[in-house]
Amino acid sequence: MNDLKLPAIDYAALAPMLILFGVACLGVLVEAAVPRARRGLVQVPLGLLGLVAALVFVIAEAGTRKRTAGEAIAIDGPALFLQGAIIVLGVVALLLIAERSLEPGGPFVAQPARPVGSEADRSQAAGEGGATEAYPLVMFALAGMLLFVAANDLLTMFVALEVFSLPLYLLCALARRRRLLSQEAALKYFLLGAYASAFFLFGIALIYGYAGAITFSRIHQAVTAGTGSGVLLFAGLALLAIGLLFKAAAAPFHVWTPDVYQGAPTPITSLMAACTKTAAFGALLRVLYVGFPGATWDFRPIIGVIAILTMLVGAVLAVTQTDMKRLLAYSSIANAGYLLVGVLAMTPEGVSSTLFYLVAYGFTVIAAFAVVTLVRDADGEATHLSRWAGLGRRSPLFAGVFTFLLLAFAGIPLTSGFTSKFAVFGAAFGGGQVWLVVAGVVTSMLLAFPYLRVVVMMWLSEPGESTPSVSVPGAFTSAALVIGVLVTLLLGVLPGPLLDLTTRAGDFVR
Amino acid sequence: MTLTPEWYLLLAAALFTIGAVGVLIRRNAIVLFMCVELMLNAANLALVTFSRINGTLDGQIIAFFVMVVAAAEVVVGLAIIMSIFRTRRSASVDDSNLLKY
Amino acid sequence: MSLSAYVPIIALFALAAAFALFSVGVSQIVGPKRYNRAKLEAYECGIEPSPQPVGGGRFPIKFYLTAMLFIIFDIEIIFLYPWAVTFDALGLFGFVEMILFITTVFIAYAYVWRRGGLEWD
Repeated sequence: MNDLKLPAIDYAALAPMLILFGVACLGVLVEAAVPRARRGLVQVPLGLLGLVAALVFVIAEAGTRKRTAGEAIAIDGPALFLQGAIIVLGVVALLLIAERSLEPGGPFVAQPARPVGSEADRSQAAGEGGATEAYPLVMFALAGMLLFVAANDLLTMFVALEVFSLPLYLLCALARRRRLLSQEAALKYFLLGAYASAFFLFGIALIYGYAGAITFSRIHQAVTAGTGSGVLLFAGLALLAIGLLFKAAAAPFHVWTPDVYQGAPTPITSLMAACTKTAAFGALLRVLYVGFPGATWDFRPIIGVIAILTMLVGAVLAVTQTDMKRLLAYSSIANAGYLLVGVLAMTPEGVSSTLFYLVAYGFTVIAAFAVVTLVRDADGEATHLSRWAGLGRRSPLFAGVFTFLLLAFAGIPLTSGFTSKFAVFGAAFGGGQVWLVVAGVVTSMLLAFPYLRVVVMMWLSEPGESTPSVSVPGAFTSAALVIGVLVTLLLGVLPGPLLDLTTRAGDFVR
Repeated sequence: MTLTPEWYLLLAAALFTIGAVGVLIRRNAIVLFMCVELMLNAANLALVTFSRINGTLDGQIIAFFVMVVAAAEVVVGLAIIMSIFRTRRSASVDDSNLLKY
Repeated sequence: MSLSAYVPIIALFALAAAFALFSVGVSQIVGPKRYNRAKLEAYECGIEPSPQPVGGGRFPIKFYLTAMLFIIFDIEIIFLYPWAVTFDALGLFGFVEMILFITTVFIAYAYVWRRGGLEWD
């Protein structure tokens, strides 16, 4: 038998992912071995420690540019930057997930297996400690995202996609209140997510048939050489794009977003809005910039149309929403459109502006969902828009914070929203994509309307009988909220350092 | 008429299309889910065929991973569908209509 | 690649669309219209679409749980086959990797076992 040549593996470069997978496995063991009452006390520090350790390794690897594990994984500027961003955003989201003081027992159902409406279900709603399985699931999801943005071949990318998707499907079903909504959200997310990943997989098969390999460098060679069947190439790329754009919540693959964002437990929604979006765009960047830059002229018009459609759908449908979480979901769809504008610049500035946008948007959206978890009445969160009327009179501080966050979404100067939109539009302009910039500016103005409507409603109407109270946040939620708001402000006033960092990190290894 | 690899690709494409259309027109969540599995298996068939055409083993290795991922997906999906079924007594996706605009 | 390669595909699309429109239109005009309840139901061959009759076609959830556990643990074996075939060539590295893999599976097994997933009653 001939000797196999084993691939060299750089364990230091893989350390962040290995640590998070290890922590997730430990978390499963904790679930098996530690008595129920003490699991939360172990899981939260374990998760936070794991994330911090992973972040340390990411920072220590700064400046690395290499491919390892037989070209399966690329550790370069964008990968490290996105991994760092996902970890930091994950820490902030984990703080929201760990909050126990807003609701007795926390945001998760005690025993997901209990049928809704049964006797046991009513007793858990009254305050039984929530399922701590959520923590290992979150760690698996974050580890999968880290792998997703570093994947340098299509198989690794597909496995990572599933590793972070499957835990998210389950997490969506775990809400303590409104469990039917939550389970329905999980069902929709799962069915549509599995559908999209089937498309992604068939795309992999076609690209493999086209290029004879699945690493991005070999695909790039095949695309630039122009050999092979064009039908395979374009059909494969289209199917791959469907899978990625689904995760990124771009129209017309966005239909799951409002339902899932509304039904999922709000801390999980914030995790999806910040981290999943970062991971999805990180992978999209790598596929388009490393694997298929040779086909830029073929895919740019199509994805450009998708970007415009996404911005329009997000902006127009946000106007008609009556639920705060759905409104934020449509805002998240519109933001996917702006991110696509940055991606389609197909220049180094395009990469760095997209990276900047992802970080800025992630912090703002987590803070916004943190405020949503605070506005509550006896039935849990009061997410209907009419309930928010007059909130400014009842709690000026939180209404003020939320107003600031909405202005950031609307892209008002001195917030991170302005800087990041400016960056992606500038990059697209530099890349010669004026049509996208025009569409972006027009839809930004459209999109300001629903935000301002909420602001006007909060401040200019009188609080009524049904106006809910704003709970005093516990230490975890306060920390998440303060971090989110501070970063939103800081990136608006002083974006220089992060812009420098993204510029230096914007170079893919091929 | 000889059986060239292209025929397997056509079969894979046909299976994939049947699955993709099935997801759109069927209503039972379990059946929907079987359609998704059909799409995954169609992709597997295409991968193995391309592996044969290209003369590399990558496609077969990918097929292994796909099978494992599909199994994990089955378990997660069935768990979600079951928890809904136990409350609603129905696996029809038309009955899941609480979330809409 | 020239655009002329797409002409057959476009022609096929046009033909398919025309045929679909033609058949739907003609059946609307020519076909008899005798509706009853069975005809208005969603078409699902084999399976009752929804909802199931009370008490009919249902069996304990334990079967599902066992089946799911079987699927997930059974399929992991798939990775053992290629490893076993190339065991000599992979050597110690492959052995350690496989031990790690099996350990991960056993962590899941420990969870299922401790949380009562394997108890029938």
